[in-house]
Amino acid sequence: MTTQEITPTDDFGIAEASRTNLWKDAFARLAANKLAVIGIIPIVLLFFIAIFGPYLTPYDFLAQDFTARLAAPSSEHWLGTDELGRDVFSRILYGARTAVAVGLVSTAISLIVGLIMGSLAGYLGGRVDMLVVWLTDMTRSMPALLLAIVINLTLKVPLEAWMEQMYLATKNGFFRQTMWVDLVLVFGALALIQWPGYARLIRGQILSIRSRNYVLAARALGMPTGRILTRYVIPNAMGPLIVAVSAGLGGAMVLESAFSFLGVGVQLPIPSWGKMISDGLRMWQTHPYLLAGPAVMMAIITVSFAWLGDGLNDALNPRQWGG
Amino acid sequence: MSVLLDVQDLQTRFQVRKGYVYAVNGVSFQLDQGDTLAVVGESGCGKSVTMLSLVRLLPPAASIENGQVLLRGEDLLQLNLRQLRDVRGGEIGMIFQDPMTSLNPFINIGTQMAEPLIYHRGMSKSEALARSAELLGMVGIPDGEARLREYPHQFSGGMRQRVMIAMSMSCEPAVLIADEPTTALDVTIQAQIVELVKELRDRSGVAVIWITHDLSVVAGIADRVIVMYAGYIVEEAPVDALFEDPRHPYTVGLMGALPSLAGETGTRLTTIGGSPPDLVDLPDFCPFHPRCPYAIDRCRKENPMLEPVIDASDGGHRAACWVDIREVELEAGAAAGSV
Ligand SMILES: Nc1ncnc2c1ncn2[C@@H]1O[C@H](COP(=O)(O)OP(=O)(O)O)[C@@H](O)[C@H]1O
Ligand code: SF4
Ligand SMILES: [Mg+2]
Repeated sequence: MTTQEITPTDDFGIAEASRTNLWKDAFARLAANKLAVIGIIPIVLLFFIAIFGPYLTPYDFLAQDFTARLAAPSSEHWLGTDELGRDVFSRILYGARTAVAVGLVSTAISLIVGLIMGSLAGYLGGRVDMLVVWLTDMTRSMPALLLAIVINLTLKVPLEAWMEQMYLATKNGFFRQTMWVDLVLVFGALALIQWPGYARLIRGQILSIRSRNYVLAARALGMPTGRILTRYVIPNAMGPLIVAVSAGLGGAMVLESAFSFLGVGVQLPIPSWGKMISDGLRMWQTHPYLLAGPAVMMAIITVSFAWLGDGLNDALNPRQWGG
Repeated sequence: MSVLLDVQDLQTRFQVRKGYVYAVNGVSFQLDQGDTLAVVGESGCGKSVTMLSLVRLLPPAASIENGQVLLRGEDLLQLNLRQLRDVRGGEIGMIFQDPMTSLNPFINIGTQMAEPLIYHRGMSKSEALARSAELLGMVGIPDGEARLREYPHQFSGGMRQRVMIAMSMSCEPAVLIADEPTTALDVTIQAQIVELVKELRDRSGVAVIWITHDLSVVAGIADRVIVMYAGYIVEEAPVDALFEDPRHPYTVGLMGALPSLAGETGTRLTTIGGSPPDLVDLPDFCPFHPRCPYAIDRCRKENPMLEPVIDASDGGHRAACWVDIREVELEAGAAAGSV
């Protein structure tokens, strides 16, 4: 079938040495980035603690030991105890759970909303685009903490009342756990604060990617819009998106701490680092370890996510992909 | 030969901040089954926009204001998007200028090649991959099965253009539109790509529209030629008639600018002074007159229509010019092509 006279003579051997997957290349670049690797360790540890923390803690996070209130760090209580005699180390481990749960869930929600809104804006353009851009500008122009406070003040009471009604109607004990209201409000506020960033990122990516030649080529082959989005646009937007998600996860955890600090976060009894920091701050001169534990954890995690984000940014930068 | 594609009075313009850019201004042409039509003209003359209009692949700012695009008698401009997708890739394949960016860098070649086969031909993934490996062989890329697992950055420019050709031909379209497919490639590879398309055309009987700004390629591949300027067809002729007896000053200029056979690039077209006009107004004069050594008063007042030329050696020879350039003796040094 193949004719001899058209056997090509141009370079077959190009990049022969690197017959590997693009993602593998990116991973190799990431692994070569020292700060990123250093950053990954605490993050992996954080997730590990979040999952297995309850099995690792020496004490229950609620267990109060009135004989050992505000105890200094010792072999019994590694990081001391708080005012109620609860083991600070155990509470920090549990706090990892809150941080990870808040980070993951709020990032997932804002990512989904951002993906949908950003895709619609970027792909449909026109009025839809203008509306989405306006919405994101509006949301972003409001101070994040103020937004969280307003949400908390306006929604907390009605939601709790609704939970109580549901309990009376169903007698389901679930509706008595008002911490779910806290969680929903915190997730909601975080998602509201974070979706515009993802939406704008996706929109920008789509606008730039859809004008690229391979999208034109795919359209010229009759590929439908949905397929072009999933096969061409989204994979190509993946690099920046992964970077943004990495930064967003860290950001959500910090924000949650700030919420707790201001009293609109996850309320006790679920330990939250932010809440622990704000409690610890009141007594930091007499009992600095109450503040130090959660504050140091928070700082390590924040810095780690920043380093990982930078590393991902470099590793996934398509300009380095020779494609 | 029956008419496969019949384009009638196509007009496309772009909405820009201060009004419109008139990119395509009443273009009509026919393409017969299995024929090859070359479209030539300098950059910015509306060649690409014309072809993208055929299958409505235009950017959002563009709109087709008038015309018909009859493929076997069916007007593509009236189709809904679903029907149009079946035409794209299925009936009309396209390859573009820049093979380096025409493939998705994140998906391996096999997956990309399989997509249209799965979508248009309803093949299973494994059938589509097997067919893709065959297609790679047909476009001169050996070891297809292994290469399907590779990514675009592992292919050279010429190889990528071969992949693009294989993809655009995979669903056996009736028309292949090649929009300057060799412009971005080395000269030796250009010739290979031209040979490849000729070879595939002769084997499959696909009709080809070959866009180029390089007349030297045209002689070897085309049956007929359209010369475009400022969104108008200014001359149209069978390839021999065009080379032996060009009637439009712009065509003469392009020929005067033919690169030498050694293929020195960079010399082509530089011998016509000036450049194509901005297309911000529809002209009521000949759009070529500022650059035309033959221009007379009338050229500045009326835009000539494309009409059959006098004493044509072939019935299909048309040109849009007020002057019969054979009757004009230009002063030394003023001949088109050396202005
Ligand atoms: N997106 C666009 N917006 C405005 N004008 C455009 C756009 N794309 C092309 N044009 C105009 O359309 C005309 C024809 O362009 P094109 O068909 O690409 O030329 P060619 O393919 O012959 O080089 C040019 O004058 C160009 O300025
Ligand atoms: S109409 Fe006049 S200006 Fe236009 S190409 Fe002919 S001679 Fe030149
Ligand atoms: Mg072009």
